Amino acid sequence: MRNTERLCLAHLWLAFAAFVGAAVLGAWQMWVRSPLGAHTGTPGDYYMSVTAHGVAMAYVLSTFFIMGFGYFVAVTALNRPLPGKGWAWAGFVVGVIGVLMALVTIGLGKASVLYTFYPPLTASPWFYLGLVVVVLASWVWCVLMLVSLAAWKRENPGRPVPLAMFATVANAVLWLWTTVGLAVELFYQVLPAALGFVQTVDVGLSRTLFSWTLHAIVYFWLIPAYIAFYTMVPRAAGGRLYSDTMGRLTFIFFLIYSLPVGLHHLLMDPEHGNSFKFIQVLLTAFVAAPTVLTIFTIPASLEIAGRLRGGRGVFGWILALPWDRPMVLAAGLSFVMLFFGGLGGLINMAYGMNAMIHNTAWVTAHFHLIYGGTSVIMYFAIAYEIWPRLTGRQHQSLAPLRWQLWLWFVGMMVMTLPWHWLGLQGQWRRVANFNYDNPIIASWGPLVIVSLAGGLVLLASALLFVRNLAVLHRSVLPAPTRSLYALAVDPPRRVPAALNGFGLWNVLVLVVMLLAYGFPIAQFVVAPSPSAIVHRTE
Amino acid sequence: MSDRSHEIPERWILHTELLWAFGVGVLVAATISIIVFTALTRNINPPSNVERVDPKTLHLSGEFAEQNLGTVVAADGTVTARIIATQFMFAPHCIAVPQRRPVTLRFASPDVIHGILITGTNVNTMVVPGYVAQVHTEFTRTGELLMPCHEYCGLGHSEMWANVQVLPAAEVKPDRDGRVTCAQH
Amino acid sequence: MPADQPRAADNPFEEPDDIDEAALTAVLRTVPLGAAVLAGGAVALLVLAYLLIYLWIFLPRGVVG
Repeated sequence: MRNTERLCLAHLWLAFAAFVGAAVLGAWQMWVRSPLGAHTGTPGDYYMSVTAHGVAMAYVLSTFFIMGFGYFVAVTALNRPLPGKGWAWAGFVVGVIGVLMALVTIGLGKASVLYTFYPPLTASPWFYLGLVVVVLASWVWCVLMLVSLAAWKRENPGRPVPLAMFATVANAVLWLWTTVGLAVELFYQVLPAALGFVQTVDVGLSRTLFSWTLHAIVYFWLIPAYIAFYTMVPRAAGGRLYSDTMGRLTFIFFLIYSLPVGLHHLLMDPEHGNSFKFIQVLLTAFVAAPTVLTIFTIPASLEIAGRLRGGRGVFGWILALPWDRPMVLAAGLSFVMLFFGGLGGLINMAYGMNAMIHNTAWVTAHFHLIYGGTSVIMYFAIAYEIWPRLTGRQHQSLAPLRWQLWLWFVGMMVMTLPWHWLGLQGQWRRVANFNYDNPIIASWGPLVIVSLAGGLVLLASALLFVRNLAVLHRSVLPAPTRSLYALAVDPPRRVPAALNGFGLWNVLVLVVMLLAYGFPIAQFVVAPSPSAIVHRTE
Repeated sequence: MSDRSHEIPERWILHTELLWAFGVGVLVAATISIIVFTALTRNINPPSNVERVDPKTLHLSGEFAEQNLGTVVAADGTVTARIIATQFMFAPHCIAVPQRRPVTLRFASPDVIHGILITGTNVNTMVVPGYVAQVHTEFTRTGELLMPCHEYCGLGHSEMWANVQVLPAAEVKPDRDGRVTCAQH
Repeated sequence: MPADQPRAADNPFEEPDDIDEAALTAVLRTVPLGAAVLAGGAVALLVLAYLLIYLWIFLPRGVVG
C-alpha cells in the first residue's frame, strides 16, 4: 500500500475514538431523558453532552473516516502512490488541532449550541474556529483526491476511472461545494458575532446558508456506504456489479442533486415563501433517484452472486448468499434500515406533511436510522474489510464481527422505531428532562424506556467494534491478498468523458444552485432581515 | 468474440435499468401528484407567510405589545391568537381557541430561534427573530393540548411550553375587547 | 503501463475474480428478475405506507397552512 497504511489508520482511529466517546454520551443522554433517569444531571450537562455527541458523530467520525477511506481508495484502486503525502499528514495534524479546539471548548461549557449552532445563540469563538480548522483540513484531502485522479488520468489516457475512485472524487467535489454554505455563514456572520465585532445577526440569512450545507453533508456521509455497495459488496458476495454505468450515474446524480435541496430543512421557517420551498421539494424528489437506482442495481448484483452459488427461484438467491461475510451481512442490514429511513425521509420532504413531524422525535429517529444505521453500519463493514490490508493481519474469527453488526442493527431499530411513534405523538426534540408528571408526557414513558434499551445495545456494539479492530492489530494470521473491488458484468473499456470526470457536472451544479438558492440567498443581501441581537451562551 | 458477447448483456442490462427507472418514475410522479392535488384543493401548505418584524422593538408597541397578546375575536368574527416566544416562556402561557372555527396563530420572538408544535394537530412552525410566523388552522377536537417550544433555544429550552385549550363553541365568551382567555379549572 | 488489452479483465486496475464466464452468462438469463421483485415490492410497500400515513394520520389532524 505504498506506505499509506499509517496515514489511513491515523484518520480512521481518530474517527472511531470520537465515535466511541460520542456513543457513551448518547447512552447517558437517553438515560437522562427517560423516566428512569429523570432527575439526573443539569441542563448544562445535557446540552454540553448533546453538542459534543453531535460534533463528534456528525463532524469528526464522518469527516475523518471519509478522509482515511479516501486515501485508501486513491492508492489501492488507482494502483499508484498518493501524491502529496506530506500534505496529507499536515492536513491530519491540522484536523486534530481543530477537533481539540472544538471539543475542549465544548467541555468547558462555552459552546452548548449543538452541532447545528443556530445564531443568534453564539458560543465561544474557539468552537467555531475549531470547526473552521477541521473544514480546512478536509479541503486538503479534497485537493489531494483531485490531484491523485488527475495524475492517474495523465498516466492512463482514455481509460475509465476505476469506479471506487470516481465515486470518491465525486464525494470530494460534493464536499467542496457543500462547505461553501457553512463557510460563508461562519466567516460572514457567526465568527464576527462570536469575536464581538458585530452585535446583531441576520437570522434569515444564517438559517439559509446553513441549510445549503445541512442537506448535502448527509450525502457526503452516505456516499462511502454507496461506494461499498457498488465496488466492494458484489466482490465480497462472489458476484459482479450489475452495471458500472449505473454506478457512475448514481454518484453523478448525488453530486448534482444533494445541494439544491437544503430548503426542505426550512419548510417550517417563516423567512421563505412557498414557491422556493416547493421548487426545492421537487428537486428533493430527484435526489431520491440515485437511491432508487441503487436498490435495483445492488440486489441485481447480489442476485448474480446468489444464483452463481446455486440459488433458484424468485428469492432463493437471497438465502444462497454468503451471509457469514461481514460485508455482505452489513449490506443486507443496511438496506433494511434504508427502507425505514427512506420512508421517514420521504415524509419529511413532503411539503405540507413536514408539519406533522418537524422538530419531533421522528426527525431524530430518521437521521439516526439513515446515518447511524444505513451509513455507519457500512463504515464498520469497510473498516473490517480494509483493516487486514492496513495491518497486514487477518481477523482470527469473523463471528465477533457479525455479532457486532447484528447488535448495531437491532439496537438501531429498537432505539429509532419507538421514536417515530413518539414523534407523531408530539414528543419534541432536544429536551434535557421531561416532566413525567404531565399526563401527556407520562404516556410516552414506556416507549422512551424501550428506546433507551436500544441505545444501550448500540453502546455495546460500539465497544465491540473498537475491540474487533484493536484485536486485529495483534492477530497472528497474515492478511489475505485477495482483491477488494468488484468487476462489472461488462467491464467498460471506454466510457464517455461525462462519465469519467466532473467538468460538465460542476457546471450543472452551478446552474442548479443559482436557480434553487440564488434568490433565497440574494434576497437577504439586497434586503437584510430585521436583525436579531447576538446571544452569547458562554 | 469477446466484444460481441459482452455487448449483448450490457444492452440488456441498461434496458432493464431504464425499465426499472421508468416504472419507479411513474409511481413517484403519481404519488407527488396526489400530494400536490390535495395540497392545492385543501389548501395545505407549510407556514410560508413571509412577514418581517423587528425583534428588538416587538414589546414596545404594535401588534405584539403585551396588551395585544392572546386570543381575540374581531368584529368580523375572525379569530386571531398572538403569542410571543421568548427565553424561556410563551406569553400568554395558556391560549384559548374555539373548536371548528378558522383560527390564525401569529408568533414572534424578540430573542433567539424558537419553534412550536401543538400536539395532535398539524400546527407546526419555526419562530425566527425578524419574522412573524403565521399558521392558519381549525381545531377539530376539544381538550387541553400541549404547545412546547421544539427548537433548542438555550439551557431553559426543556421548560418552555404553553397550553392550548380548545373550547367548544358554547364556552367561547369574548369579553368587551373580544378577548378569549383560558377557562380556569 | 501496458497498452489496451482486448479483455477488460486484463485491465491492471481490475483484478480478475474467479467467476466462470459461462456460468455468469447462464445466470444472466434470469437476473434481474429476483432483484426486480424484491426492489419493486419494497418500493410498492414504501408508497403504500406513505399514502396510508398521509391519509390516516396527516389529513385527519386538520387543515393547516
